[in-house]
Amino acid sequence: MIKKEGEKMNDEITLRRLVIKTFHINKVVFGDNNSIDNGILTINKDFKNTLQQSEDIIEEIKINIIEPRKHDIWVNTIMDIIPISTKALGKIGEGITHTLTGVYVMLTGADVEGNQMAEFGSSEGILKEKLKLNKAGTPSENDYIIHFDVILKKDLTFNRKLPLTIHKVCDEFIQEFRQILKKMDGRQATETHEFYDKIRPNKKKVVIVKQVAGQGAMHDNQLFSNEPSGFSGGKSIIDLGNVPIIMTPNEYRDGALRAMT
Amino acid sequence: MGIGPSTKETTLHHFRDPLLDVVSKDNDIDLAGIIIVGTPQDNKEKHFVGKRTAAWVEAIRADGVIISVDGWGNSHVDFANTIEEIGKRGIPVVGMSFVGTQGSFVVKNKYMDTIVDFNKSQEGVETEVVGENNVDYLDAKKAIALLKLKMMRKGNN
Repeated sequence: MIKKEGEKMNDEITLRRLVIKTFHINKVVFGDNNSIDNGILTINKDFKNTLQQSEDIIEEIKINIIEPRKHDIWVNTIMDIIPISTKALGKIGEGITHTLTGVYVMLTGADVEGNQMAEFGSSEGILKEKLKLNKAGTPSENDYIIHFDVILKKDLTFNRKLPLTIHKVCDEFIQEFRQILKKMDGRQATETHEFYDKIRPNKKKVVIVKQVAGQGAMHDNQLFSNEPSGFSGGKSIIDLGNVPIIMTPNEYRDGALRAMT
Repeated sequence: MGIGPSTKETTLHHFRDPLLDVVSKDNDIDLAGIIIVGTPQDNKEKHFVGKRTAAWVEAIRADGVIISVDGWGNSHVDFANTIEEIGKRGIPVVGMSFVGTQGSFVVKNKYMDTIVDFNKSQEGVETEVVGENNVDYLDAKKAIALLKLKMMRKGNN
């Protein structure tokens, strides 16, 4: 590395910046239109019908609003917990991301006969017994959960298409809110966090390796989707031949990895 | 084989990953990047992607590696192999995995001497509770502390 004279060898070198702005949601309700206004997220009560009709393997989509601490309900196996995030400026890993706090999407899936969308143990049951709250990967006890439940038709052959379709329709649902979130005024954000990809010269150089599933059907991961933590436009680790792919810390932090396990 | 509900890392987990947070904020560490590697079904493929990962790490001239796995059982074949490929290149490596009592390693090697077990269940089993057996801040701090020790020891030799 070429250093200018007088520059200290230990100075950090900044490569790029990512800003994540959070918008807190206090209440989730059903209404006539999808909207986010004054901390209230409204879900169009009829929107699920459009999504339901878009895929021939889907029997029904159910959307439930689960209020904080009301987890005494039965759910199908939990396929994912997804933050609602979108790029307001730039691509994944740089620029500005808007994300909602106080609400997360929980995706569950089964077929009409109750066969669960899982391959190696499943988590269907009473939600409060099946979801450990307050972890990095789960909602907190004060968060709302938008429960997106996809019921497939019966007697379908189990293959990759089934979970992929479920993730796809859920992503289309979330995209509606991303479009709204994208246009929200950054100055109204609840919190703003800045992250820098940087070089720390003369410090120990460390690589994090994340070994993720790529065996097929229920063991898949999507990389570099169009939107943070999104599905559409991403590349499946299976289709990439499971070979190692390098991400910058900010790309990873900005939702470049979508779990489909 | 694979990922049970309690070891599964959700998309939200990746978005707020404690491991990335701890390592990237550590002023003694120059975090070069995150390598995402898959877990193929076939044994030959498992060895292929593990070796490619180690070649990347070597090419980056990394001083150390933390490798974390989101599954167990069959996934430990890949995990052990990748650790071995990194270890035999003389690069200090720390592993992170669900082990408990149920997830004991099906294969092991001499480079797996520093493994952070992120089992959280009393019985050490796959509880089928989402979020339970995941990496948290304490696990991440243990991993970076172990790696620093390993890198220091190597530096002294």
